[in-house]
Amino acid sequence: MNEVDSDMSQRRWGMVVDVNRCVGCQTCTIACKHANDTVPGVQWRRVLDVETGTFPDVERVFMVVGCQHCAEPPCVPVCPTGATKQRADGLVTMDYDLCIGCASCAVACPYQARTIVHDKEFYFGKETLQEEAVAHDERFGVAQKCTFCIDRVDDGVAAGLSPGVDPDATPACAASCIASAIQFGDFNDPGSHVSRLVEENSHFQMHAELGTDPQIKYLYETPAVPGRDLTEADTGDEAMSDPANPLVGQPQTFWDMRAAMNFILGGFGAGMIVVACLLYLFAGLDGATLTRMNLGAAGIIAVGLFFVWLKIGRKLRAPLAILRPQTSWMSREIYAVGVLYPAIAAGFLWQLPSLHFLAGAAALVFLYCQAKILHMAKGIPTWRVPMMPAMLVATGLYEGVGLSAIVVAVYDISFEGGFLLPLAGILLGLINYGLWRMYVQGAEANGIGPLSRGILESSTIKLNVSGHLIPVALFAAAAAWVAVPAWVPGAAGVFVLIGGGFWKALVITKACHQQGYAFAKFPRRGSGSLAAPSIMDRD
Amino acid sequence: MNEIKTRKQVPIFCYQCVAGPDLMKVEVEDGVATRIESNYDIEDEHPGGGRVCVKAYGLIQKTYNPHRIPSPMKRTNPRKGKDEDPGFVPISWDEAMEIVGQKIKDTLAGGPLDESGYPKIAASFGGGGTPTQYMGTFPALLSAFGGVDLGFGAGQGVKCYHSEHLYGELWHRAFIVAPDTPHCNYIVSFGHNGDASAGVAGIWRHADGRARGMKRVQIEPHLSVTGAVSAEWIPVKPKTDVAFLYAMINRILIERPWREICDMERIADDSNAPYLIGPNGYFMRDSVGLKPLIWDLADDTAKPFDAEIKDPALEGAYPCAGVEDGPDGQRWEHASVEARPAHQKLLDHIEPYTPEWAAEECDVPADKIRKVADEFIEQATVGATIEIEGRTLPHRPVAILLGKTVNNGWGGYNACWARTLLLTLVGALEVPGGMIGTNVKLNRPADDRKTSAVINRDGFMEFPFNETSKQEWQAKPHIRNAFRTLVPLVADSAWSPALGPAHLPWLFQKRPPENWPKPTKPAMWFCYRTNPAISSWNAPQVAERVAEFPFIVAFAYTHDETNHFADILLPENTDLESLQLIQLGNTKFIEQLWGHEGWCIRQPAGDKVVDSRDMTDIATALAERGGILEAYNKAINKGAAGMRLVTGDYDYGLDETRPHGLEEIWDATAKAASHDMSNGENVVGIDWFKEHGYMLRPFSKLHWYLYPHLKANGIRFELPYQERILRHGTQLAHRLHEIGVEWWDEQLEEYEPMPTYERFPDIWLNYVRDQGGDPDAFPFWALTARSMQYSWGANVGIPMINEVASNIAGHKGVIINRKRARELGLEEGDPVTIQSISGETRGYAVLREGIRPDTVLMIGQFDHWKTPYAKDLNLPSLNSLTDLSLKLTDSTGSGSDITRVKITKGDGPKRAAA
Repeated sequence: MNEVDSDMSQRRWGMVVDVNRCVGCQTCTIACKHANDTVPGVQWRRVLDVETGTFPDVERVFMVVGCQHCAEPPCVPVCPTGATKQRADGLVTMDYDLCIGCASCAVACPYQARTIVHDKEFYFGKETLQEEAVAHDERFGVAQKCTFCIDRVDDGVAAGLSPGVDPDATPACAASCIASAIQFGDFNDPGSHVSRLVEENSHFQMHAELGTDPQIKYLYETPAVPGRDLTEADTGDEAMSDPANPLVGQPQTFWDMRAAMNFILGGFGAGMIVVACLLYLFAGLDGATLTRMNLGAAGIIAVGLFFVWLKIGRKLRAPLAILRPQTSWMSREIYAVGVLYPAIAAGFLWQLPSLHFLAGAAALVFLYCQAKILHMAKGIPTWRVPMMPAMLVATGLYEGVGLSAIVVAVYDISFEGGFLLPLAGILLGLINYGLWRMYVQGAEANGIGPLSRGILESSTIKLNVSGHLIPVALFAAAAAWVAVPAWVPGAAGVFVLIGGGFWKALVITKACHQQGYAFAKFPRRGSGSLAAPSIMDRD
Repeated sequence: MNEIKTRKQVPIFCYQCVAGPDLMKVEVEDGVATRIESNYDIEDEHPGGGRVCVKAYGLIQKTYNPHRIPSPMKRTNPRKGKDEDPGFVPISWDEAMEIVGQKIKDTLAGGPLDESGYPKIAASFGGGGTPTQYMGTFPALLSAFGGVDLGFGAGQGVKCYHSEHLYGELWHRAFIVAPDTPHCNYIVSFGHNGDASAGVAGIWRHADGRARGMKRVQIEPHLSVTGAVSAEWIPVKPKTDVAFLYAMINRILIERPWREICDMERIADDSNAPYLIGPNGYFMRDSVGLKPLIWDLADDTAKPFDAEIKDPALEGAYPCAGVEDGPDGQRWEHASVEARPAHQKLLDHIEPYTPEWAAEECDVPADKIRKVADEFIEQATVGATIEIEGRTLPHRPVAILLGKTVNNGWGGYNACWARTLLLTLVGALEVPGGMIGTNVKLNRPADDRKTSAVINRDGFMEFPFNETSKQEWQAKPHIRNAFRTLVPLVADSAWSPALGPAHLPWLFQKRPPENWPKPTKPAMWFCYRTNPAISSWNAPQVAERVAEFPFIVAFAYTHDETNHFADILLPENTDLESLQLIQLGNTKFIEQLWGHEGWCIRQPAGDKVVDSRDMTDIATALAERGGILEAYNKAINKGAAGMRLVTGDYDYGLDETRPHGLEEIWDATAKAASHDMSNGENVVGIDWFKEHGYMLRPFSKLHWYLYPHLKANGIRFELPYQERILRHGTQLAHRLHEIGVEWWDEQLEEYEPMPTYERFPDIWLNYVRDQGGDPDAFPFWALTARSMQYSWGANVGIPMINEVASNIAGHKGVIINRKRARELGLEEGDPVTIQSISGETRGYAVLREGIRPDTVLMIGQFDHWKTPYAKDLNLPSLNSLTDLSLKLTDSTGSGSDITRVKITKGDGPKRAAA
C-alpha cells in the first residue's frame, strides 16, 4: 500500500481547516474512529474546545488537530526502525509490523498526534461482536496516528477517483464533516480546492516556527470576522498555566522512570568510562583498575538499557532498532553500545591502550547519542532546547567523575593524578551549575511553558544544593585538604549522582509537558473587546 | 483483522433528532454491522451535503450494546418504586403478546374512556416526532384503540420551541422557523443553539453562510457552541431577551425615522398595522359586513380593509363610526368614536421600552442594543429583490432566532411577537433571505404550508383555534392535559396533545385542581423511545407518578429510569435492525429546506443480536391479540403508517381481515409512495428501496416562501395587533370562571393584543419566595443547553458517544464562571451539589469564562440512576432542579427551562482526569 508511483510523487496531500466553519460537533472524530477502527480513548482526529480571554471579553474556538503530515516530519528521523516514513506524496506512514513501540516518534511530534496503546480495552468492558470484527491486533504496543486515511486515498486514486472531491477517496474526517470545515486535497495542484482556499484566504500553520512545515493549514477569517493577533490573554502564563486549557500540553507519559533510568544509568556508566579513560591516559590510573571500572560501568549501562527495554511496546522486536543509523540517534546509541562492549571486553583480555581509548571514545559517543535522543524530541520543549546535548554530556562527565570518586573511595584506589579528580569535580560542578542556570533562565525564551518552567524553577534550589553546592564544596575540601578523609570525595560523588539522577528524572518524567496546540492567529469574534467589528463601522 | 467473507453497504436513514432524516450507509461484514458512513450518493440533493452527524455513528454501539434487553420480560415484583427491584424475568414473545393483547382487550371492553371521560389507554413518546420515524405501524394500533391519551409529556413544551410552534403557525404557518440561510446575511440569535440543534442541514448551511460573510450576533447568558462561531456574543441576563427585543423595536420605531427605514409597503398593505382599533381594544368594523376598517388619508374616510385604499393612516386618531366585535358576541356600536390604527397603538405600546430601559433590565449597554438594531435595519436592504427560479421576489437577508428558554414559558409570547414584528417591519417575513416557516403541524394539510393559508373574514390566515365560545368550548377535557379546553391556540391536530400543557397531567396526578374532572390514571400506558423519568421537569417527581401507573408496557432498549416501573418490557429492533419507509425532502424542521422530496428507507443491516422484534410486527400482533385487527388494518390503509394505501388513483390496500407481515405492509407502502411520486409511472416495491435507499423528485424552492402566496390571495400578516388572541383569552376566562376554575387566571392575563413587558426573572425569584425560600440563598440562574452529541438519540449509554462528547466543554459537569467559582472555593473538577427550592443534583465543577457570573449551565439531560453506563457518568441535570408548577406555566401550557439555584462544594474526590 505504501508503494509510491511516479504520479503520487507529484502530489502533496494536505488539509485546510476553516476555524470559522467548525462547530466542534465531533462528527469528524467519530467518523475517523469508525473508518480506522480505533480503540477506546484513541482519537486520531480530535477537535478541541478552546476558550480564551476573561469574562466579559471571551472567545471560544474549535480547533481540529491530529497528525499534520509535516513536510519536515520530526517523527521520521527519530524512528530507529524505519516504521515511520514519509512517502513522496507527503503522507507520513506507519508500518505497525516494524514498530517496536519505543515512542521516539511520539515525543518528537509537537502536535501530540501519536498514541501507543499497550493493553486491550473495550468500550463496554468486554469485547462486542463488532469490536471483534474490526480488531487490529497489530496496533497494540506500537505507535499509531492519523494516516490521512491512506487506504481511502490510494484505493480512490487507483479507482480513478479524485481525493478531496470524491468522498470515497477522501479521508473520513474531511468527507464526513458537516460544516465543510475540513478540506483535503493536493497542495501541489494549484487548481485544487485546498490550493485555492489557501491562495484566497489568510491562513496559518500550527507551530510553523518549529520548521515542520505542517500540511494542515488553518483559515481564520471571513468577510464578517477578521483575524486578530495573539494577546497576552491568549498566550500569557495565566492561560498557559491552566491544565484544563486544551491548548496546554500535558506531561508526556510515553517515557516514564524506566526510560529515565536509561538516561540516568547511561550517564553514570558512560561518564565513568570516559573519565576512567582520561585518568588512565593522563593521570596514571592503571589498566587493571580501568578495566574493572569499565566492566562495572558497562553493567550499569546494561541495567539502564534493560529498564528502557522494559518500557518499549514490542520487546521481541527490540533488535530492529538498529535499522536506521542514518538518522536515528537511538540506532546510533545501539551501535555505540556495539562498539563499547566489545572494546571493554577486549580491553579486559588484552589490556591494550588503544582498546581502552576505543572504549572511552565509544562511551563518549554513547553519551552524546543519549543526549541527542532527548534533544530530538521536538514535541517536548524542555527536551529539545539547543543546550540539551551539552547539558547531558556535561552531566554525564560530572557523574563519571562522581562515580569514579566513589569507586576510588570505596576501593581505596590511589594513582598519581588522583588530585585531578576533585579538581575535575569542581570544574564540572561549576559548568553544570552554569548550564542549569542558563537552562532555567532561558526556558521561556526557548518556548518552555509555565507549567514545566514552574517545576524547573521550584526544583532548582534542590538541585543546586544537592547536585552542585555540596559536591563542589566537598570536592573543594578534598582538593585543598591534604589529609582529607577518603569518604569526602566519595560523598561528593554520591551527591553528584543524586543531582544528575534528580534532574534527569525531573526533566524526563515531570517537567516534560508536551508542546500543546496553538493558534498563530485567532478569528476576531467573541464578546466585549474581542467581538467582530460592527457592520456599521466597516467603512 | 479477520478475513472477511462477505461485505456490503446497506442504505438507511437516521432520524435520531428533529432535524432528520439524514441518510447513511451501514457497512456490514459477515453479518456484523461494523461502521457507519454518510450516504454520499445524495450529497448534491440533501441540504446538508448528504452527511450524517455524530449521533448516527453511535448506532453501531447501540446495536451491540451488551446491556440491551435480551428478550421480552415481565415484572414479578408487584410493588413499584425507585428502590424496588422489578424482578424482571424473561418470557417468550408469544407470552408477552398474549399478556399485552389480553390487557388491551380487557381495557377496551367497556369502551375506550374511563369514568372521568379520559382514555383508558395512554401513550408517551419522545419529543419532536422522532419516534414516529421508528415505530412502524404502531400509529395504526393507537388509532385502532379508538381513543388514547397522548398528553403525558416527557419534556415536551419545556424542551421545544413552544411559543414559536403555536404563534409561528398562527402568523406565518411556521411550526418552526428558519432563516433562509443561503440568502441571509445577518442573524440576531437570542440563545438559539442551532449549531447544536439544527441538524446537519442547519450546520452545513450556516457554515456556508459564515464563509460567505453572513454575520450572526448571539445574545445569551453563556457562550454556546453557536455563540462560539458567531461574530459576536452578547452575554444577556437570563430571561430578559424580551427587553432587548422591545428596545430594538423602540430604536427602529421611536428613535429612528421609521418611515424611511422600514418596509412601508409591508406595513401598510401586508399587515394589520393600519386596522383601526376601537376603545375596547377590538377592530373597528363596518356595521354591515363587519370588516375591519382602515382610515384612508386620501379622502379622510374609514374603509373596509379590502377596499381600495390610497393612503392608509398608520399614525394618529380618527373619528370613526363602526362596530367592535367583542367576546361572546358582545358588540359595541359606535356612531363616532376615536379610533387609532394598530400601528399607532404599537408606537404607544413600544415607546417606554427605550434602549436605556432595556440596558437596566438585561445588563447590556444601550448602545450595543442600538447597534444591533441599526445593523439589522441596514442589512435588511429594504427594497432589494432577488431572482429565485426565474421569479423576482423581495430580498430581505435578515433573521431573528429565539432559543428554547427564550421561546418557552413566560415571555415566550412576547419574544415571538417582538421577533416576528421586527421582521414584518422590514418585510423579512416569508421572503428570500428572511425568516421562513418550514412546516406545519397544527394546520392541515401537513405536507403543504400554502394550502392551509386561506383568507379569513378579517384578511388574515384562517386558524383552527380550539373553540372558546359558550356553545362550542370543550368544557370537559378529553385527555388529561386538557389542551382543547385550556389552550385555544394549540388547535386539534395529531400533534396538539404533545403541544398542550404536557406536564400538567403529572402535576395534576399529585395535586388535582379544583373543579376539574378527577385525574385518573391510565389503565394501560405505553411508552416508546422516551424516558420521562429523566427528561421531564422535576424528573424525580414524574418518576414517582409513573410508579403509580397500574400497567405499563415499555418498548425497551436497555433498562432505564422509566421502564424500571414497567410491567412488560418489549425489546424492539433498533435503528439498524428494523424496516420502515418515511418521507424526506420538501421543507422540514429545522433547516431541511430541499429542492427535492421523496421517500427513504430504514432496513435491517446486520444479523440480529438479541431476541427483539420489529415495531410493525409487534403492532400487528397486538392488534390481532387485542381484537382490533380490522381497525388496525383499516388505519394502515388510511395512511397511519405514513402513506395512504388506497386513494382514488390507486389501490395497494391490505386485506383488513387478516394480519400482514412486515415486508408485505411496507411493500404496499413502497408501491403507494412510488405511485404517488411518479403518477403511477414508476411503481416499485420495497426491494427497490432496499437496494437504492431513497427516491426523489424535484421540489420548487419557490415553495419555501409563503409571502408570494399571501400576496396573491390578498392575505395580510396578522401583526402587530392580536385581536383574535384577545377575544379568545377573554372568552376562555368567561368559560373557566363559569365552571369555577380560577387556577388558570394568571395564564389568562397573557391574552393581550400586544404583549406588555413583565420582569420575567422575578417570576422565578417569587417562586422561591412562594415556596418558603429566600431568593438570596439561591444566587444563580441555572440553565441548560443542547448537546448535539446526545440530544434525542437515546444514546447516553453509548461509550463512544461519551468519549467524543467529552471533548466539548460541559459534558463533564456544571459550567460555572471561573472567577465566581473561585470566590466559592471551587476549582476545576471539584464535586459540587446544586440545589433549587425543589430539588438537588450533583456533578463536578467545570470552570469557564464564557458564562455570566450569575449563571450556571448543565448541558443535556442526565442524572441517570438506572440506565447502564449512563448511571455511572455522575453528570448533573437541570431536570432534577426545575419544578412542576402552574405558577411556572404560561398560557400555552409550556414553561422555561430555568430555575434559581445555589451551588456548594460536595463530598468526595475531584473528577478523575481524562
